[in-house]
Amino acid sequence: MIPPTQGLGALALAAVAALGVGAFAYRAWRLYRYLRLGWDEDRRANVGRRLKDELVIYLLQRKLLKRPYYLRGLAHAFIFWGFIVITLGTADLLASGIFGLRMPGAESGAFVWAVDVFAVLVLVSIALALGRRLFFKPPRMHIALDGYVILTLIAVLMVSLLLFEHAGVAAGYLAIRQSVPPFAQLLPLPFPAGSAGGIFAAAWWVHVVTVLGFLAYLPQSKHLHIVTTLPNVFFRSERPRGALRFVDKIEEQERFGAATLRDLSWKQHLDGYTCTECGRCSDNCPALATGKPLDPQKIVLDLRDLLLKEGDLLLKDPTATGTAPAHQLQTKPDELWACTTCAACVEQCPVTIEHIDKIVDMRRYLTMQEAAAPPEAQRAMTNIERAGNPWGEAAGTRGDWAEGLGVPTFAEKPDAEYLYFVGCAASFDRRNQRVAKALARILQGAGTSFAILAAAETCNGDPARRMGNEYLWQIQAQRNIETFGRYNVRKIIASCPHCFNTIANEYPQLGGAYQVVHALQLVQDLISEKRIALGPGVAESVAYHDPCYLGRHNGIYEDPRAVLDAIDGVTRMEIEPHHRERGFCCGAGGGRMWMEEKVGQRVNHRRVEQILAAGDAKGGRPAKVASGCPFCLIMLDEGVGAKGIQEELKPVDVLELVAARITDPKEGLTA
Amino acid sequence: MRLLICIKQVPDSTTRVKVATDGRSIVTDGVTWSISPYDEYAIELALEHKDTAPDAVVSVVGPLGIADALRAVVEELKPDLVLCGRQASDDDEGFVGPALAEALGWPHVSQVTRLEPDSGQLWKEVEGGHEVWKVSGGAVLTVQKSAKDPRYPSLPGIMKAKKKEIPERSVAGVEDPVKLEIVKLEPPPARGGGKIFKDGDTKAHAAELATLLRDEAKVL
Repeated sequence: MIPPTQGLGALALAAVAALGVGAFAYRAWRLYRYLRLGWDEDRRANVGRRLKDELVIYLLQRKLLKRPYYLRGLAHAFIFWGFIVITLGTADLLASGIFGLRMPGAESGAFVWAVDVFAVLVLVSIALALGRRLFFKPPRMHIALDGYVILTLIAVLMVSLLLFEHAGVAAGYLAIRQSVPPFAQLLPLPFPAGSAGGIFAAAWWVHVVTVLGFLAYLPQSKHLHIVTTLPNVFFRSERPRGALRFVDKIEEQERFGAATLRDLSWKQHLDGYTCTECGRCSDNCPALATGKPLDPQKIVLDLRDLLLKEGDLLLKDPTATGTAPAHQLQTKPDELWACTTCAACVEQCPVTIEHIDKIVDMRRYLTMQEAAAPPEAQRAMTNIERAGNPWGEAAGTRGDWAEGLGVPTFAEKPDAEYLYFVGCAASFDRRNQRVAKALARILQGAGTSFAILAAAETCNGDPARRMGNEYLWQIQAQRNIETFGRYNVRKIIASCPHCFNTIANEYPQLGGAYQVVHALQLVQDLISEKRIALGPGVAESVAYHDPCYLGRHNGIYEDPRAVLDAIDGVTRMEIEPHHRERGFCCGAGGGRMWMEEKVGQRVNHRRVEQILAAGDAKGGRPAKVASGCPFCLIMLDEGVGAKGIQEELKPVDVLELVAARITDPKEGLTA
Repeated sequence: MRLLICIKQVPDSTTRVKVATDGRSIVTDGVTWSISPYDEYAIELALEHKDTAPDAVVSVVGPLGIADALRAVVEELKPDLVLCGRQASDDDEGFVGPALAEALGWPHVSQVTRLEPDSGQLWKEVEGGHEVWKVSGGAVLTVQKSAKDPRYPSLPGIMKAKKKEIPERSVAGVEDPVKLEIVKLEPPPARGGGKIFKDGDTKAHAAELATLLRDEAKVL
C-alpha cells in the first residue's frame, strides 16, 4: 500500500518521528547513565550460550510458559510475537512514509498475512489481559495506571492497523499480486462509498503517531522491558545458579557488599529497568506466602526507584554515597533477613532478574560493613569461627557418629576413591547422624571405596556466605580446600545439598575443583548398575520434598525420584502443585536455619500443610515424606511435631529408605 | 572518658579439654583460644558507651597476667574506669578484678550489667533484680552477662584489628604473692546411660520411675 504521506506529509511524519525518537533517546540516555553508576561487571564471555538464551528465553518465551502460568504466558507470547512482526511492519511504514523506501519483503503476501493474523491475536490477548486486571485481579500483581495505559496504547495500535489495512483493501490500494489477508476479508466494515481512502489515511496516521508516542512513553514505564529484556537476558549471569558472586581480594576492599548504589553492578540496575512488575517472583516466595515482610518484586523495584531518585545526585558528585540500599525508605533489613535463598523467584522470573544476588549483596553490607546481622546469625557465625560448625558443638567430636561402623578416615585410608563430606548437620545432629549411618551402610554394601575426614572436616561455609559473611565463607572454604589437597581428594560425596552446592559450584572460585556428587545421584547410579540390591518391603506411600539446593539450584529433580521408584513397595507421591521447580522451601536455607522465625506462619508448618493437602486431593495422605537434605529433615520433623502428627507423617531421608532395604550380599539377609 | 578492659585468653567453650599426662595441666594442642565470655561482655559494655560517645577511648589489655603487672598498665594509660569480666571461664577464680582494684587502691564493683559512664551510674545485678550504684573517680568494674550479647565484629573492624600492633609485656619480674598450685586435674566421669521405659503400662512406668528417683537417684 502506498502511504498517505505525499508532499508535506512526509515532512510532517519526519518531524513527529524525530520528536518520538528524540524523547525516547533523551530519557534512555539518562537511564543509561544511572545504570553506569553500578560497578563494571564483565558479562561478555560465552557469547554462544548468551545467543542461545536469546533464542529460548527471549524469542521462544520459554520462561513465560511455566506452570501454572500457561494461559497467561501464551497470551503474552502472542502479544510479543505480534510485537516482533508488527514492528517490522512499523519500520516499513516509517521508512516508506518518510523516505519512500520499502523494506524487503514488506509487500509479500506472507508478511501482510502475518501482520493481519497477529494483529487479531494481539487484540484477543490484550482483551484477556485487560479482563484479568479488571475482573480477576491477580493477588501479587502490581496494578497501576501504567498497565492500563500500555494495554490501551497497544489496543489503539491494533485497531488502527486493522482499520487502515481493511480500508486500504476496500480502496483497492493492495498491490496486484497480493492475496487479501484473512481478517481483512472476514471483517467487512461498511464503509460509505468513496470514504475508504480517507479512512485509510486517518487510521494510518493514528497508528504511526501512536507508535511514536508509545516510544516516547517507554522509558518511564514498565513496558521498557520490551527493550531491556534483550540485553538483560543476554547478560544474565553465567555462574551456576547455586553460586554467589565471589569477592576477590576481600582483605583489600574498603567497602563490603552493597553499601551504596555504586556497589551494585550495572547489571543489577538493568534488572530494575527490566522488571515487568508481573509478580511471579512474589507469587512463589515462601517468605511472602507465610506473612514475612519480604517481597522479592519490591526489592527489585525499590532498588530501581532509589536509583531513579538519587541517580542525579550520585552523577553530580562522584564522592556522594547516597542512601545505603539496605536502608532505603522502602526496604528494611528485616525484609532482607527473611529470604531463604530458595530461588523460587529466580526460577520464575521471565526476564532473568537475579533477586538473590541483590539480597545477598545487601546482607553482605549489613553483616560485614555494619556488623548488624541478627543476633542469632552472629552467634552461628561465631560458632563457625570457633568450633567449625554453626551449632557450636565440640569440633573434636565431629567424627563420633561413625564410631564402631568401620568407616575409615582419610588418614587411615589415604587411597580411598571418594571423600564422604559429612557436613555439620549429619555429624552433630542426632536425627541426621542416622542419615550419615544410612549412607555409610549403602556405600559399604556397594563396596564403594570411601573415607571421611572426621575432626579434620570443618563447616563448608555456606551458612556464613548466605548470611552475608563472604569473609568467613572464604576462610572456611580455604581450610577445607587445604585439607582436601593434603589428602589428594578428587571425588566428593555430600549427603547435604548445601555442602554439595558450595563445594561443587563455589569452591572453584577459590581454585578447588573436584568431582562432586550428591549422595542420591551416586545411589541412583549404584542401583542402576546393580551394585546394590534392594530387598522387599511393605507397601507405603512416600511424598518427595524437593530440597531447593538440590532441585532449583542444581537441577537434580529426577535422580532422587528414580531412587524412590526403585524401592520395592514405595509408591511415590508428588506434592502437587509444589514439586520440582515449584517446590516449596522448608524454611531453613539462606542461613535461616539458625535464625528465629517470629513473624507470620513458620515456613515449615506451611510445607507440612501442603503435603497433607496434596495427599487429601489425591485421596490418601502419604505415610512418609522423604527428602535429601538434613535441614529439610529437621524442619519437616519440627513441622509434623508441632502439628502432633509425627506418627501419621514421618519425615525421612531417601537414603534411610534405601539403607533399610539393602540386602547384605554376604549373608543374603534383609536388614 | 577513657575505659580500659582486661581480657584473658581461655580455651573456647566448644573445645573438648583433655587433661595432660602430668595430671595437673591441660593439653593445649588443638585448643581454640577465645576471649573469656565475661570479658566479651565487658568489651560490649565499653563499646556501647563508645557508640553513643564517639570520643571515648577504649583500650584492651590481655591476656591477663597478674594484677600487679596490670597496675603498671593502668598507671601508664590512666583510664577513668577499668572493666574486667567477672571471672575467666577456665579457672573461674574471679580474682584478678578485685586484686587489681586493691593494687590500685580503687573501689571495685562486681556483677555490673549496665554502664552510664558520664553520670557514673551503673547497674549491678543482685538476686532477683539490680541495684543502681554510682562511682566517682577511678574504679574497677567486673562485668556480668547481660541481655545484650557481645557484637560480631565488622569486617573493617577485623581488618583494622589485624593490622594493629599489640605490644607484649613481660611479667617475669613480677613476683606472684599468691602461693597456690594445681595438685590434680581429671576429666569428669563419663555419663552413665539413661534408663528407657519402653512398651507397657504408663501407670506402672510412673510408679517405677518414682521408686528409682527416690531409691537410686535419691532426688525425691
